[in-house]
Amino acid sequence: MGHDDLSRIMKEKAEAVQSFVTSVKTFDEVLSYTVRTTKRQGGKSVAAPCLDPAGKKALIAMCDSEGLILIDPPFGNISGKIDTALTHADFGVAETGTLIINSGSEDLRIATMLPEIHVAYLNKSQIRPDMDSVKAEIDKILKTPPAYLAFITGASRTADIERVLTIGVHGPLELHILIMENPLS
Amino acid sequence: MIDTAQDLKTYRKRIRKALSNEFLRTALDNFAAAYKLSRAKAFEGIDLEALKRDIVSGQDDELPFLENLFENFKNNAEKAGVKVHVAKTAKDACEIIGKIGKQNSVKNIIKSKSMTAEEIHLNDHLEKEGFKVIETDLGEWIIQLRHEGPSHMVMPAIHLSRQQVGGLFSDVTGEKLDLEDIGKMVKVARRELRDKFLTADMGITGANFALADSGAIGIVTNEGNGRLTTTLPGVHVALVGFDKLVPDMETALRILKVLPKNATGQAITSYVTWISGANECAASRSGKKNMHIVFIDNGRLSLARDPVFSEALRCIRCGACSNVCPVYGKVGGHALGHIYIGAIGLILTYFYHGKENSRAIVQNCLNCQACKSVCPVNINLPFLIKKVHHEVMKQDGKKPAKNKILSAVLKNRKLFHSLLKAASLVQKPLVRKNEGVIRHLPFFFGKEQNFRSLPALADKPLRDQWKKLNPKVENPSLRVALFSGCVVDFVSPEQAEALLKLVDKHRVQIEFPMEQTCCGLPALMMGEEETAREVAVWNIEALEAEKYDYILTLCASCASHIKENYPKILAAENEVLYKSKILGSKIIDFSSFMTNVLRISHEEFEGRGEKVAYHAPCHLCRGLNVTKEPRDLLKTAGYEYIPCRDEDVCCGFGGSYSLQFPEISSEILNQKLDNVEKTGADILATDCPGCVLHLRGGIHRRGGKIKVMHTAEAAALNKKTV
Repeated sequence: MGHDDLSRIMKEKAEAVQSFVTSVKTFDEVLSYTVRTTKRQGGKSVAAPCLDPAGKKALIAMCDSEGLILIDPPFGNISGKIDTALTHADFGVAETGTLIINSGSEDLRIATMLPEIHVAYLNKSQIRPDMDSVKAEIDKILKTPPAYLAFITGASRTADIERVLTIGVHGPLELHILIMENPLS
Repeated sequence: MIDTAQDLKTYRKRIRKALSNEFLRTALDNFAAAYKLSRAKAFEGIDLEALKRDIVSGQDDELPFLENLFENFKNNAEKAGVKVHVAKTAKDACEIIGKIGKQNSVKNIIKSKSMTAEEIHLNDHLEKEGFKVIETDLGEWIIQLRHEGPSHMVMPAIHLSRQQVGGLFSDVTGEKLDLEDIGKMVKVARRELRDKFLTADMGITGANFALADSGAIGIVTNEGNGRLTTTLPGVHVALVGFDKLVPDMETALRILKVLPKNATGQAITSYVTWISGANECAASRSGKKNMHIVFIDNGRLSLARDPVFSEALRCIRCGACSNVCPVYGKVGGHALGHIYIGAIGLILTYFYHGKENSRAIVQNCLNCQACKSVCPVNINLPFLIKKVHHEVMKQDGKKPAKNKILSAVLKNRKLFHSLLKAASLVQKPLVRKNEGVIRHLPFFFGKEQNFRSLPALADKPLRDQWKKLNPKVENPSLRVALFSGCVVDFVSPEQAEALLKLVDKHRVQIEFPMEQTCCGLPALMMGEEETAREVAVWNIEALEAEKYDYILTLCASCASHIKENYPKILAAENEVLYKSKILGSKIIDFSSFMTNVLRISHEEFEGRGEKVAYHAPCHLCRGLNVTKEPRDLLKTAGYEYIPCRDEDVCCGFGGSYSLQFPEISSEILNQKLDNVEKTGADILATDCPGCVLHLRGGIHRRGGKIKVMHTAEAAALNKKTV
């Protein structure tokens, strides 16, 4: 199966569990999407623990012009609220619309847990058909401890009250997946 | 607090109370219907049987070597900076965890959902030790605030309405909440619990997997509380049963393919978290998570070596055995379990929480096999439940009178059959003429038995009519022994007459081995294993299977018991085991015989435009996996077959079950009959004489119009006479 097919299935399956999936061509689009989404939801702050210095600089500029704050790590002793987190994802699993994030870094981990909105960017070439086809990589990660590996499929959910599906109980209320056409250079 | 009935009298009182809870019944009914659909959808296009086989064969290979897996796990985890502990008992585990808390000056503990923690009453212990413990899974938090146990393994608060939860949250927060707005309630929980996460010093979780070859654990969750619990506090304790050990990621992923689908109909849960070693953690002084994994035995390791019960350890805690259980659907988890609930709960309670807590609840099983068929790891739940019942009685050292009488009578065929004949005479004044039911129940039946009319015994049993009935066939192409079962023999011989009418001209010589007796299922149902064994051996000798092409039954329950349970009961007895397997291989149910062996055709029948609904007997559709043949047969016989909701759900009979738990039996029966009546059918057909009696009794009691009959009778009615 080609990348386009996998990307299509990934989108379909992720949307079936209320993820928002968008294709993007440049990294600037990732940043502007993040800022736009934060604004739309009335958020004020963004955290982006995975960015390189150039990316961070670009995001700060965008945040400034929109009146948003970029919160710096560490997030462990969190005093304020993170509205949106922007992180990378290591793999996508098309069959279930799952993101796999190697979250050994505590700041990355917290960024995917505490915010209201989680935006994750994923290289299209890193989408695999199913769990079995990414087994070797995840096995290797776990065998190189310490490791904290997260499979994330959709937003946080519960059906504990009368089995009514309700989104956003403890983790993010929204999960946005940005599939990047070209690998990040 | 959890307080499970320890005797039947108290238990039945609780059951009546549970049955009077209208909300619970509606909620569980809706859940059962929705679950079936979402599960089916989740498994679409997946070869579930193959997947199950792979998982089970892996598990069965691993179970005898749990200690080896543990050693590997421990080595790997300790190399990665994790402290691994072993707790022999529940008390040990509680103390180890309390000590970890004390050593780290912990005050506030947050927990994510763990059935194992429930199993050992961990919260009670930690609270006594002075810790503040907060459950963070929404359902668990709700029941913690209400001081209750879970009523479902996956959805612990399924017994509560939104209004109850809203009221509870209003009390807790002191803010008046809209009692209809679930979204708002969830937001309140998010807000209230968020603060607890940020201020906790220790997080406690369970684990779904412990991977031996890496020392990693895997946690399957939806809410995201498990991730916060394992990330924010400086200390993480994972409480893991030895049964959660798997060799590697490949095995874990295989189980993960079925767990969420079978549990909630999700392709995968929102989060699956894998933790290997002590990770970066700012809240810990060392900068590394202070991580402990406590392995708990609590009977698991000896269970793993048990030749019969070890398969209970395959359980992956999906909760599906509750979702499909007709009894659970009526009374809920608090009345069908102790800590672990549903079918697997009836078994595990005995091993983890003792015979006192097991004694009453273990009897509440219809043996309908619904749990067994939905179990993703092929645990023979109904069989093990009966086995536990047997063990409890053995340990108690005393048996109910009904068990003693049943055993004494069944072990002696002549006595049994002459008692039945005598009863047929005695009941005469009580029988309603032409209706085949008892007019007044004898005094020893309580009035709660009145929910269905009880059948009258036949004037003359089948065995006494056989000589007259049996048409000799010249040059038969098939030689078949009829195993009629007690009901056809002594209550409904007309069902055998219908059979004879149908096979006429098919060159089948049917014989009735006179020494046959009760198949023994009723004995097994009451935990009377020894009696079940004796009659099994008796029937194997009586039926002389090697002389026949088929052993034909009109009763699906007898058939599946002989085929499946005889070899289990006789597993240790080589010679008779061999014979039981020959017998099992020749057993065939009525519909399969007509459809697949005789290949009866349309031309033999003339339809009269009657509509027929079908009830799929538990032991036919699940016990023998026969589903297509009876429906085909009814169509071949000229009927218009009208599908009915929940055709394959038990009718509530369960043999002695309906006498033991009439309150539940009648609820299940009524729901079945409501569904059947909605089809507008003229006839309700089914392939089990026991179901016929129960359904017919129910229709008679409610004054319904539908004629209930055995599929053989329905087909015979339309058989052309020329």
